[in-house]
Amino acid sequence: MEGRPAGHFVIADKEHSVIDLQNVVKAFDSVKAVDGVSFAAKPGEIFGLIGPNGAGKTTTIRMIMNILAPDSGSIMLDGKMLTESDKARIGYLPEERGLYKKMKVGDMLAFLAEIKGADKAKSSARADEWLKRFDIYEWKGRKIEELSKGMAQKVQFIGTVAHDPDIMLFDEPFSGLDPVSQDLLLDALLELKRAGKTVLFSTHIMDHAERICERIFLMNHGKEVASGSLAEVKARFGSDAARIEYDGDASFVASLPYVSATREFPRWMEVELKGEDAADRLYRDLAGRLRMRRFELLEPSLHSIFIRLVGGDTAEAGQREALHV
Amino acid sequence: MFKLIAVAKREFKAAAANKTFVIMTILGPFFIFAVTVLPTLLTNNPSVMGSSKPLAVYAADPALGDYLSGALEAQGMTFLKATDAQVAKDLVLAGDYAGYVEVPASWPDEEARYFTKTGTEATVYGSIGAMLGSYATQERIREAGLSQEQAQRLLSKPEFRVIKLGANQSEETKTQDDFLGILLTALTFVMLIYMTVLLYGQMIGRSVVQEKTNKTVEIMLSSLSSRDLMFGKIAGLGLAGLVQYAVWVGMGVLMVTVVGPAFNLSLPAAVSVANFLWLVLFFILAFFLYAAGYAALGAAAEDEHHLGQLAWPLILFLIIPMVLISTMVMNPGSPLVMALSFFPLTSPIVMLVRLLVSAPAWWELALCIGLLVLTVYGIAAFGAKIFRVGILMTGKRPKLGEIVRWLRVR
Repeated sequence: MEGRPAGHFVIADKEHSVIDLQNVVKAFDSVKAVDGVSFAAKPGEIFGLIGPNGAGKTTTIRMIMNILAPDSGSIMLDGKMLTESDKARIGYLPEERGLYKKMKVGDMLAFLAEIKGADKAKSSARADEWLKRFDIYEWKGRKIEELSKGMAQKVQFIGTVAHDPDIMLFDEPFSGLDPVSQDLLLDALLELKRAGKTVLFSTHIMDHAERICERIFLMNHGKEVASGSLAEVKARFGSDAARIEYDGDASFVASLPYVSATREFPRWMEVELKGEDAADRLYRDLAGRLRMRRFELLEPSLHSIFIRLVGGDTAEAGQREALHV
Repeated sequence: MFKLIAVAKREFKAAAANKTFVIMTILGPFFIFAVTVLPTLLTNNPSVMGSSKPLAVYAADPALGDYLSGALEAQGMTFLKATDAQVAKDLVLAGDYAGYVEVPASWPDEEARYFTKTGTEATVYGSIGAMLGSYATQERIREAGLSQEQAQRLLSKPEFRVIKLGANQSEETKTQDDFLGILLTALTFVMLIYMTVLLYGQMIGRSVVQEKTNKTVEIMLSSLSSRDLMFGKIAGLGLAGLVQYAVWVGMGVLMVTVVGPAFNLSLPAAVSVANFLWLVLFFILAFFLYAAGYAALGAAAEDEHHLGQLAWPLILFLIIPMVLISTMVMNPGSPLVMALSFFPLTSPIVMLVRLLVSAPAWWELALCIGLLVLTVYGIAAFGAKIFRVGILMTGKRPKLGEIVRWLRVR
């Protein structure tokens, strides 16, 4: 029987990579789904794999799980190729959710832990804890097919973590959940991190990544667009922005030399700035020409960086002026 | 290994905790009962099979009419004397009479006729023909003026006996009833194997396809190898099949050893404990053969509909022995039957029939089983590879390099 090595990572060793991808390429027919991707997730961190739909996130995660084989490049877990016995240390929530419909929730969770070779009593106790936490404990004896989509989603999440793996991969873990459940899940991921787990998850919802990720890898069309710690990415790709609420004609703002883009709404406007002291200059220039009710400096959000870096594809972005970083 | 067992346990529960399984398991013994008792009943009371409808008979010669009445009665057939040919024919057409026999006054110079609605009741008109024939012969002998002794000597048949040679120099007299018994036993055993192999094969194929359509396959493969998943499924469902066979064979053996002697039923010779054990052995071999094939097809199929289309060549090989069953019973030594009893896709059923009918040499059995085991291994290994490649496929052919990479990881 394969034993399950538990918690043998040295969390202080920040040089060590739990998941390490080097120049990974995967093509489906002529389409390169993943094109030269390299990143590494460190022990005990939450790593965000971010990108729009079809960016290659799921393909990347499937290759990490050895469900798909890369055409070239290397994928290492703890410095070696994934072996069958490593699967016990990994929890994987696939994008394609699926459970055996005819099985009872409790039996399903026990089965998922069993095929990971986890201790029966311990994993069952952990599963119960999670069921209570997600407020679906009373459904334990019911069949999967009776659950709502959101409930099944939670059961699937519990099945991913109940065997207490030290590496967890979640592919779009928030999709299909209501806002309350999304918050529950965000808290759960933070708690897993605190327990020393290495968490990698993919999302296209920037808010989630911004709230819990330490480092991110932003990809589009299978290629890296930006990567690094959240602070690094913001410093490098973010720009200052201001939100102004005003009365009067503000059309002149877009043509100011230190303004890179504007987004006008009926009663207010967002202004993206470039260069030193741009905010101060904007404030001074506006003061004489508009009746300002509010002037607020905005921190660059991952959302805006995302839109800026990959938004060229979207129709909305196409209407805006080209942005220069 | 423990992962394989976990999958097997789950599949066994999914298959066995289900109404169809329970009903099949309970009804199976009645099937066995039918094969062990029915042939005896049938041979003892042929009228069970016969029509309850009367025959209409018209014979111009009253002496012949009396003779026919007596002979028909002796065979357990009811009859009515007909007076009007047209009315009798109408009643045959209306379905009131099984048939109408008409023997004209000038018979046997002119033909006798039998009118029927179907023309398929060969045993009935066959025996009527025989009755008329023997009456005519007797009449002619009498006309020739031979003595009673001479007539008897002319008519007596020389003795003819069929003796079956067995192992250990044993000899056994065979009759038509034995042929019927063996044919029915063979038919039942073949039906049992055919039905269960098909049923369990399809269950495995569906189970594999459902991993795809339920989208559980990814989560399964993140925990275990495709090999564990496939063999776990086969083992779990195979166990369910064996439980069913254990119940059935247990009932059959009980029939042979306890119920049969207790009620003094003469069971067909082919229904023996040894043959039940052969049945189980060949079920197991056929099961693994077709299970591996179906698992591979399930992996290659997009959905259950598609699986049904892919599976027909497999089903064809199961049907071939079914079609040939009476040929096999009558000519167990023909080159075709010999060949089919070694060809792995048909051998479990054909060799089983040969075992019921004749005594194949030990090396023939060894060769047949050896070839089967090798083929099971080959198909399972090949199936596992198709499974590995096909289980995740969504309308895309995998490249050779990709397969090689997959195969490197255990």
